[in-house]
Amino acid sequence: MPADAPPPPKSNDSDRLRSFAKYSGLGFQMLAIIGLCTWGGLKLDAYFQNKNPWYTIGLMVFGLLAATYQIIRAVSRNE
Amino acid sequence: MKRLLIALFCILTLPVFANEPAATTAEATDQEAFNPGEMILHHIGDSHEWHFATLGNAEHGTHVTIPLPVIAYQPAKGLSVFSSSKLAHGQAYNGLKLEHEHLMAEDGSKVYDFSITKNTASLILSAVLLLLVFTAVASGYKKNHGKAPKGVQSFFEPIILFIRDEVAKKSIGPKYERYMPYLLTVFFFIWFNNLLGLMPGAANLTGNIAVTFTLAVLTLIITLASSNKYYWAHIFATPGVPKALLPIMIPVELIGIVVKPFSLMVRLFANITAGHIVILSFISLIFIFKSAALAPVSLAFGLFINVLELLVAILQAYIFTLLTAMYIGGAVETHHDADLQMGGGNGVEPAHAH
Repeated sequence: MPADAPPPPKSNDSDRLRSFAKYSGLGFQMLAIIGLCTWGGLKLDAYFQNKNPWYTIGLMVFGLLAATYQIIRAVSRNE
Repeated sequence: MKRLLIALFCILTLPVFANEPAATTAEATDQEAFNPGEMILHHIGDSHEWHFATLGNAEHGTHVTIPLPVIAYQPAKGLSVFSSSKLAHGQAYNGLKLEHEHLMAEDGSKVYDFSITKNTASLILSAVLLLLVFTAVASGYKKNHGKAPKGVQSFFEPIILFIRDEVAKKSIGPKYERYMPYLLTVFFFIWFNNLLGLMPGAANLTGNIAVTFTLAVLTLIITLASSNKYYWAHIFATPGVPKALLPIMIPVELIGIVVKPFSLMVRLFANITAGHIVILSFISLIFIFKSAALAPVSLAFGLFINVLELLVAILQAYIFTLLTAMYIGGAVETHHDADLQMGGGNGVEPAHAH
């Protein structure tokens, strides 16, 4: 690999790859938060044998809010 | 070309959801003679013997397998070590039997299974391979100090430098050096095992949730161990957030800590497993339709996905390493000028909630 290959476009490319990796990672993170919260809610509802799945609903909404917050925080941090 | 790669990248990072139905369709078109679902799950799962091929009929043919050691511990009986060939074809040995690759005692008592399974054997093999390759690289640096790299060393040098310059330095900052051993190990471990997993007859190691779980836990521990006061201040007193909201914000931030490694774990597991399932599904089509006419199509698609998996192998290793570096970077960063533009400025201590 020649060391004097044009550096600016190359780093630009890797920056792109980097942000793609980062944002696709965010998507997965969102999914994981909502998924984990919902799973926890289902478990809690099963444990307390509730008639209405309030834990599931509550934790799902909480997960949604948490995921949104995490996304907003991650994208508004300028790197 | 660049655009194409980026488009491909987008698709590859989320293939799981598109791919999963493929397996279920294969399972749905179940037949008495050939059960693709069972075959696929057998291929992506762990087992107590290393099975390569079956020549001839499934019942009467010869199985080309390497028996692996079974190491079982029973609280009542103690340790027993024997070859897994004694358990083949559902036989019982020493009061133990295999049920769906699960080691059970015949009397139903508790068994702790410490066997060298296919995945464990593959892990040991890849560890040996990694050690051999990287001792060669390291000795290359000793021998050719100050000179151009040679042999295997010259192949790995650009990759190591890429991880250092593009991943570690950019994500972690000035303190990147002490994390390089972990980042490089994780990168090459995942890459090598992804590639080894694509070989015919090989184990699906990085598609095993226990393996990816361990890697994710290591990342979590390293992130937490290297975290500084700003990291924790951000979690327990998020700048710019009113005090009344803190009871909600603290759990949200705490979830963030756990979920980041969790998403790493799921992504690697799901991507690798999905790739294997798709390839096997395409190959299964030949046996489902029992027609050689379908073979060219099914083989072409299988080959295409297989080649795609070569790319996914390094991509997933890169993503895991990059995100690990970013999480560590978030834990060690000291300046706080980017606090959502709400907190204290550069050099100011983290703003208190007001």
